[in-house]
Amino acid sequence: MSTVVRVPRPKAGKALLVAFLTVGGFLMVLPFVWMVLTSFKSLNEVNHFSWLPQRIEWLNYVNALKAAPFATYFRNSLIVVVGQTIPVLLLSTAAGYALAQLPVRGARGILNYFIILLIVPFQVLIVPLFLVVRRIPLAGGNDIFGNGGTGWLNTWAALIVPFVSAPLFTFLARQFFVSLPAELADAARVDGVSEIGIFVRIMAPLAAPAFVTIALFNVESSWNGFIWPLVATSSESLRPLQFGLATFAQGQGGVQWPFLMAMSALATLPMILLFVFGQRYFIAGMATSGIKG
Amino acid sequence: MTTQTLERPAGGGVDRLPARRRRGGVERAKARAGWLLLSPALVHSVIFVALPGLMAVYLSLTNARVAGRGKWIGLGNYVELFGDAQFRDAVLRTLLYTVAVVPVAMALSLAVAIALNQKIPGRALFRTLFYVPVVTSTVAVASVWLWIYNPAAGLGNQVLSFFGMARSGWLTDPDVALPALMVVGVWQGLGAKMIIYLAALQSISKDLIEAATLDGASRWQAFRHVTWPGIAPVHFFVLVTSIAGSFQVFDLIYVTTGGGPAHATNVLTFDIFTNAFERLHIGYASAETVIMLVFVGILIGLGRLSVRNREGS
Repeated sequence: MSTVVRVPRPKAGKALLVAFLTVGGFLMVLPFVWMVLTSFKSLNEVNHFSWLPQRIEWLNYVNALKAAPFATYFRNSLIVVVGQTIPVLLLSTAAGYALAQLPVRGARGILNYFIILLIVPFQVLIVPLFLVVRRIPLAGGNDIFGNGGTGWLNTWAALIVPFVSAPLFTFLARQFFVSLPAELADAARVDGVSEIGIFVRIMAPLAAPAFVTIALFNVESSWNGFIWPLVATSSESLRPLQFGLATFAQGQGGVQWPFLMAMSALATLPMILLFVFGQRYFIAGMATSGIKG
Repeated sequence: MTTQTLERPAGGGVDRLPARRRRGGVERAKARAGWLLLSPALVHSVIFVALPGLMAVYLSLTNARVAGRGKWIGLGNYVELFGDAQFRDAVLRTLLYTVAVVPVAMALSLAVAIALNQKIPGRALFRTLFYVPVVTSTVAVASVWLWIYNPAAGLGNQVLSFFGMARSGWLTDPDVALPALMVVGVWQGLGAKMIIYLAALQSISKDLIEAATLDGASRWQAFRHVTWPGIAPVHFFVLVTSIAGSFQVFDLIYVTTGGGPAHATNVLTFDIFTNAFERLHIGYASAETVIMLVFVGILIGLGRLSVRNREGS
């Protein structure tokens, strides 16, 4: 009796689950679908609601690039992403390795210091960071005490240097290196490999998954960053993609929706691809750090 | 862990003295390399994170403007904030946003995580669908929702009329604007919470659930008495990080409403931004950020503590 009841029940339950997830998943992608559909419509077509474009306007993607300096914005975002991510991979991981595997005096205290820093929300730092960047000595017309000029404001340095390392990534790297056995390093020491050599040639390759996770997180956050470039730069030649989108979305005298959707699609696509191919690492990083409320 | 010795079983029969000397040399080389590898990140964090953090506290006690040096005014800014109706409303709005978004997003993400924890076809695809809004930029997402909420030709009004409801002004209507942005908040934050729940669910032993079922527990009972207690520690962590996240909503507001209409979406971060970079009242804005830091810091700190306790036990 009980088996007769039990066998069909999970099946019905499963069908219900799939239905629930299908509806939910549909609602999750609906905005993206509508974004892509809109990006192919002609400029007049969006005065009224419609689902499908009358005919596919591929040229929207080309014309949008001309409507605002989006090509420059894309280039700038790329420079910022590369300029931040490469040093992050060197500095934050080296510090994480030192804290995990080398006899640094006060390592515990330094680790706690990094943990406290990673709690501080970036919104809190924006105003004072703006002042710090403006007062960098001997930059942008500043004297040796950082007075008189604009420092790094409105330069590449302002967009890159404050983010070439981050407490979160140092912490993540440390968590990973702690789990590696010290024996391999010891064996290399006996063979006369230098300490830096041990980090670069032996331990770092073993920590490749941590490097990938950190790189993915940083590429994502630097590509998507908005508020800092908004505050720290004023010239078009430096401003990144997110800024371009935000300006275009607030276009005076009517927004050209198909163009905006085309550029939003281009801005979104690289991150979606990155996630689809790097899912494993994103999820591992999320689970260990719990960031991204 | 900080003192790793190179002790090995004494099989080599090396003289004790040179060995000790060599060991001392190795230890010194390790310590030197440690500082060499650590210092760039350490110095960087002092200049670009710790210093600004301390400056925020200092600035909040001055009447600093963007140009020129501020004067020390003690708790003056905080006193003024207590009488500032716009600040009070911004805090209340942030709390309202949080109270609405966090529980809904948590419940939905838990439901999705439980569903995805079953053996069903297309799991990986579903997981991707729910997670994608998390990795896309808030600015792009905000642009899309701005278009969805377009009163004339947007998808939002189409959906309303499909259900036979009256059209809405959405973000142009002071009564609707904040709830409309809450929907975006839930939609974008769901995936991150889902992943944390999913990781917790997957760490619960299948054997335990099977054993319970064999003992005659119904699926509901197994869930109630095995799965639910198993994910209990994660609830708190997700709650706290979600609250901290919803306190920091900015990009979405900036792109969609700019704090309007009639201040209806002027949340705390936006008020800070306006005071700092439009009114140029740096000291005053810093006092607001310090209050936010206290809120968020306590919450995240509690969250981290809960995680550590979980790992420790």
